[in-house]
Amino acid sequence: MISVSKLLCDLDAEGDGLRYDAAADSDADQIRERKQQKPVVVWNLTKQCNLYCEHCYAAATEERAPGELSTDEGKRLLDDLADYGVPVVLFSGGEPLVREDLVELVAYAADLGIRPVLSTNGTLITPEKAAELRDAGLAYAGVSVDGLRERNDAFRGQEGAFDAAVRGIEACLDAGLKTGLRYTITERTAPDLEDVVDLLYDVGLDRFCFYHLDYGGRGAAIRDADLAPAEKRRAVRRVCDMTREYHERGEEIETLLVGNYCDAAYLVEYARAELGDDTAARVREYLRRNGGDPAGERVADVDYQGNVHLTQFWQGYSLGNVRDRPFSAIWDDDSNPLLAALRERESHLTGKCADCRYLDVCRGASRLRALGVHDHPFGPDPQCYLTNEEVESDDVSV
Amino acid sequence: MVEKTRRSNVGDSPRGGDQREWEVFVRKDDTDPMRHVGSVSAPSPEVAHEQATRLFAWFAEDVWICPAEETHRFSTHDLDDDAKPAPHPNGEEGRTHEL
Ligand code: SF4
Repeated sequence: MISVSKLLCDLDAEGDGLRYDAAADSDADQIRERKQQKPVVVWNLTKQCNLYCEHCYAAATEERAPGELSTDEGKRLLDDLADYGVPVVLFSGGEPLVREDLVELVAYAADLGIRPVLSTNGTLITPEKAAELRDAGLAYAGVSVDGLRERNDAFRGQEGAFDAAVRGIEACLDAGLKTGLRYTITERTAPDLEDVVDLLYDVGLDRFCFYHLDYGGRGAAIRDADLAPAEKRRAVRRVCDMTREYHERGEEIETLLVGNYCDAAYLVEYARAELGDDTAARVREYLRRNGGDPAGERVADVDYQGNVHLTQFWQGYSLGNVRDRPFSAIWDDDSNPLLAALRERESHLTGKCADCRYLDVCRGASRLRALGVHDHPFGPDPQCYLTNEEVESDDVSV
Repeated sequence: MVEKTRRSNVGDSPRGGDQREWEVFVRKDDTDPMRHVGSVSAPSPEVAHEQATRLFAWFAEDVWICPAEETHRFSTHDLDDDAKPAPHPNGEEGRTHEL
């Protein structure tokens, strides 16, 4: 995750220590004192979902799929994650609220000292459920909305989904839960971006996460709906401009970009052009500490059947299964050549990424997109929108 | 006498979703042992081989593919609700050493 508001507007947030090793520089309460050593784990509790979104990386279905980890198995998984030192578990799906034991598992994780957070479509969150989740120790709810009413409902496959999600957001905010928006930027959803932020800011939301499309699950089938690189650059620029405009008005929204680390390179370019060399140097230093694309290192995924993946989007390949072997052992097993190579990917990257001057802040962006388009896990990310001049430039003043 | 490791037979819960799951084994060159490198989702062994090739072609000379549901796993790990203790005669076995 790249915090635009932190980098361009100096807004402190409680994730700064996780993202930038900058706990000491931040005024906000910190999730961890030191930079993250162990991955944030996304756990897809179920494949079942009450919606049918075009971009779903988990290829979720209406019916419950066989093989879900049970409540007891899930608790044993959480025990292992806690012993291993995992700082955050993101309960995801499918739609995690279709599982009746969600509150129990959130409470169990919180008791173990793991920070439980939630990724949801929001449509099943009632005021009662929001209060239960808060009391269980839920630290954050990220609610997906992908456009204003008409566009969101078409994209999400159900009329009324937008209104239900906004009701869910209001329920979370009323319960005092820290809540944010998850917005996937595609060709179809990009036009509504600012309007959705304006509307949800009026509802009371102040945290907005913008996701790039990755090419897993149904996301691969709509690769054609992804923005072309130049349009993607414009969309990211709009996020930067909008964040600054809000802050200039004294409205301190938190904005984050997820899923395409060439955004990090772009932010340095943006800062240099708009805010000067000193700010650009500071932005770059923060991003260097952030460490670039996290696949196989700072983020991991366990799916509903216990398969362990390199990221939540990379569902077609599993490193192993937690029913056979503890997560910690699977994740530490560097005898897997792909896992080992991802952890030293600088020496494997090819094409435009190999000699990029922003390699230290980006690290080649998405290996899954490279695989999807070039059939090679170390090819260049096809969604890099930096120009050749920008990535090849010898001007290394920042 | 050597003590035998006590293992359980991991249950046969499904590992794949819309497609079958295939365990993948690779070796770097023909003097290397096969190593298990995880599994891929695919409708057939041929497609599973293609998926594994995309992931490991830069590394591996040989690729073996095995249906995940045909793999019987015996493990000391105890997360699985459906795991059953594996047969374990007497807990110990004799071993002779000839010098
Ligand atoms: S060329 Fe590669 S490493 Fe450089 S910014 Fe683009 S995606 Fe990142």
